[in-house]
Amino acid sequence: MPPQNSAQTALDLLVLTLLDRRGPLHGYAIANFIEDLSEEALKVEEGSLYPALHRMEERGWVAAEWTITGSKRRARQYSITSEGQRQLSAETQRWAGFSLGVTRVLQQA
Amino acid sequence: MSWLSRFRNALRPEPLEAELDDEFQEHLEQRAKRLEARGLPPGEARRQAALRFGNSTLIRERSRDIRLWMGLETGLQDLRYGWRALRRNPVFAITAILSLSLSIGANTAIYSVVDAAILRKLPVPDPDSLIYLATTPIQQPGSEPRDENVSFSYPLFTRFREVAGDSVRLAVAGYPGRAEVKESTPGAPLEKVTRAYVSGEFFQVFGVVPALGRLFTAAEDKLPGGHPVMVLSHDYWQRRFHGDPGVLGRTLVYDKLLYTIVGVAQEGFFGNEPSRFVDIWVPAMMYSKDAFTNDGWQWMRIAGRLGPGATRQQLAARLQPVLSQSNAERLKRFATAPAVLVKQVLEMKIFVQSGARGVSSFRTTFARPLWIVLCVATAILLIACANVASLLLARASARAAEMAMRISLGAARLRLVRQLLTESLMLAGLAGIAGWFIARLAAPAVIAMLATSGDPYRFVLALDSRILLFCAAISAVATLLFGTLPAWQASGTQPMQVLRGVASHGGRLRLGRLFVGIQVAFAFCLVMAGACFLFSLKNLRAVDAGFDPHQLALFSVSNELADKDPRRLDRLLQVRDRVAALPGVQAAAVAPWAVLEGSTWTDQIFLPGKPPSEREEIFYPVSSGYFPTMRMRMLAGRDFAPRETQEDPVIATVVNMAFVRRYFDSEDPAAALDKPFQRSSQSRMVNHRIVGVVADSVYSSLRKAPAPMVYMPLNGDRYFSLHVRSGLDLPSLSRLVEREAAAVGSGTRVREVTTLETLIGNTLLRERLLAVIGGTFALLGLVLAAIGLFGLLNYSVARRTREIGIRSALGAQRGEIVMLVGKDLAGMVGGGLLTGLVASLGLITLVQSLLFGIRTVDPLVIGSATAVFALVALMAGAFPAGRAAAVDPVVALRSE
Repeated sequence: MPPQNSAQTALDLLVLTLLDRRGPLHGYAIANFIEDLSEEALKVEEGSLYPALHRMEERGWVAAEWTITGSKRRARQYSITSEGQRQLSAETQRWAGFSLGVTRVLQQA
Repeated sequence: MSWLSRFRNALRPEPLEAELDDEFQEHLEQRAKRLEARGLPPGEARRQAALRFGNSTLIRERSRDIRLWMGLETGLQDLRYGWRALRRNPVFAITAILSLSLSIGANTAIYSVVDAAILRKLPVPDPDSLIYLATTPIQQPGSEPRDENVSFSYPLFTRFREVAGDSVRLAVAGYPGRAEVKESTPGAPLEKVTRAYVSGEFFQVFGVVPALGRLFTAAEDKLPGGHPVMVLSHDYWQRRFHGDPGVLGRTLVYDKLLYTIVGVAQEGFFGNEPSRFVDIWVPAMMYSKDAFTNDGWQWMRIAGRLGPGATRQQLAARLQPVLSQSNAERLKRFATAPAVLVKQVLEMKIFVQSGARGVSSFRTTFARPLWIVLCVATAILLIACANVASLLLARASARAAEMAMRISLGAARLRLVRQLLTESLMLAGLAGIAGWFIARLAAPAVIAMLATSGDPYRFVLALDSRILLFCAAISAVATLLFGTLPAWQASGTQPMQVLRGVASHGGRLRLGRLFVGIQVAFAFCLVMAGACFLFSLKNLRAVDAGFDPHQLALFSVSNELADKDPRRLDRLLQVRDRVAALPGVQAAAVAPWAVLEGSTWTDQIFLPGKPPSEREEIFYPVSSGYFPTMRMRMLAGRDFAPRETQEDPVIATVVNMAFVRRYFDSEDPAAALDKPFQRSSQSRMVNHRIVGVVADSVYSSLRKAPAPMVYMPLNGDRYFSLHVRSGLDLPSLSRLVEREAAAVGSGTRVREVTTLETLIGNTLLRERLLAVIGGTFALLGLVLAAIGLFGLLNYSVARRTREIGIRSALGAQRGEIVMLVGKDLAGMVGGGLLTGLVASLGLITLVQSLLFGIRTVDPLVIGSATAVFALVALMAGAFPAGRAAAVDPVVALRSE
């Protein structure tokens, strides 16, 4: 498994959490949620969400499906898979452990 | 990237680029709409949306790469890694690929023959609605037992056609036979072709369209002898006329008549017998005129196509009364017939068989042997799999450290299994490719083994996508068979133990013993099978035929005199006398056909004062001098005199010992001398008087005990078989005989040349096929098993080096060390050998009908198979034993 940078991991974690809590979403909706939730703290180019979604799709963490939107166009809708849920809980624990470690270092330094 | 894009297109029907565009476009529009809703002007909203989205080209590239590569990446990584692993150990790779490719090649080759000969359907539209008619056979002395009879008479065919109505279209499909044609120009050479008589609807029934001109229609069914036209096969048209369209309207001479070529059949259509390729089709009406009125002429097959909704059972039920009635009428015309025969005729059943795969006499003879050969090939594949599995196990021990390292670094067990299976798949893939090429070479060789010289079997040996699929499928199955257990075993390595150097080899060795046991069991089965088939062939070859087949040439001779011309026989006997007088020729005689050719004449025997015989016996007309020419022993009485004929009021007759035993109940040949008997010929009785008794000889098959036989003088017929005993080689003898035949005149000439030994060989084709392939596969199985044994013993000795070192340090002699390895060997072989023995005895009972002179528990077969196997096992064990004996205790102990 290639090493991942933390920004990528954070984005993955965010997307998986969203899909886990809100159910299937279109790419645009995910972008909107991220924007709202993180109050623009995670300022990324919106487009870079898509390579991340596609990567997770190839890994089997999310599943995608073409749907027809209100404007009669086709749009891909993403949902979390059981593999994605496992990944989410593992990553969440690691993330919690990591941030706990960082907090401890900051306190003791 | 072209192969990649092809790959991608194969996986994803929609173009990836369009998908990405759609997705991004949707996002941009939604965003722009939202911005517009916040009060931005439309142009600015779109600009902002694009700005926030980022560099869309770059993002699209990244997305595309991810979606293309992610799935492939791990697979490619495994492949690269596997390739390196194989390169690192070329001896292992080559041994594994070699044994796998041989067995995959053998399986593919045999399967392609089975496919061509047995499985493939006729290349015509909707083959499943095709049928052919068959009845229960009549078993006669001198004919081989058959499953079904497919010969019918023309009068019966017309009655069937009337009754069947719309439920089926029936057509005459004559037997493909060898014939001679020539161009109508004077002096044109004769050409041998395969021809078949067919009725007008034949081509419509099979749904064949013309490639050129027209095919036959119902108009060709009108007048016996009145339709001198022929249709060529596409293959013959290409071969003989180089696809010349001007062939229409040209004429060919066949059977002394001028035939006009009216058409060429569709490419790929060869008739309805898959092993025979018809060159020319002739209207059934052109067959001998008697055949259309006399229902005793059973000379043709009946093929058909069921109408919509009609079933084979319905049709059979409809035709059965017609057959029964016709048979009852025929029986009435016989003055007398043996009760056994009457019963068989009255109880005759009609079958409507599926004609999807055509009718084939080849299939009835060779289907069972070919399936057996395929089973043997499968056994070879299993041996090869067990062999490669044990090689993989041995290699796994060398790679234990690597595995331990990878596990310590966090590789999941399934990931490792996948990696190892990828390596196995690469092995099988390479072996599959090599096997494909081996099969391409081997399949025609198998077909060649089945061909007889005079009447070649031909097959469309299309090594097509189906065979390729079979090859790929068995390669994949092989991968699973040989790869799974070793991969699971290797991935279960306990890293801590390996790193400490105390890894347990017990499991690996146990698994190794299992694989070697499997190999030994299968290989022993193969050796037993090979021994059975080889001894069987040897037994058949050693059968005392009752005549001497060596140096006996057979010439099929004909002349152009009319049917009833009395000079016909004279001309023929003149050839015989001239040939017999040649220097280098010891004797010559004539018979209408040779023994073992399949022709038989049977009749009932009427002894004075006794009821008619219960069965019919074989009658065989021969010229004087036949017995000395064949070197058959005359036991009493005399040979025919040249002036004696079949037209005499009392026919001089010679019988064999079996006849004397059955009808005179005596072991003394003289008991039959001068005794009279009668046979019924059509409506009158014919008188015979026994003038001589000869020793028994085989007639239809080497497998059968000699049957009673009646020899009588020859009468004139169209073809004759000239038997010549001579030490001359066949080509020079042929030239001499051809010269003498031409000198006699009346168009007398030699048509075919063969030898009695060839005829005997032709009756043993099945046995030879089984013996050659069985023997080859037994050898292959032995070699593979030897490699497996050697590998495991070598590994076991390497593992026990320290133990052996200690033993020899404590004073063990070399002999004792060798015994240690010997015990190991016996342990490995013993179980497998016993299993193999029990299994093979079971299998032998299944193939008993194909064997000759072999008992189920045959000491000779078991003894020789065990001896060969033990020898090979000892050879495999010699090197490891030597290595063990050479262990130097000092070196062994220091290395620890």
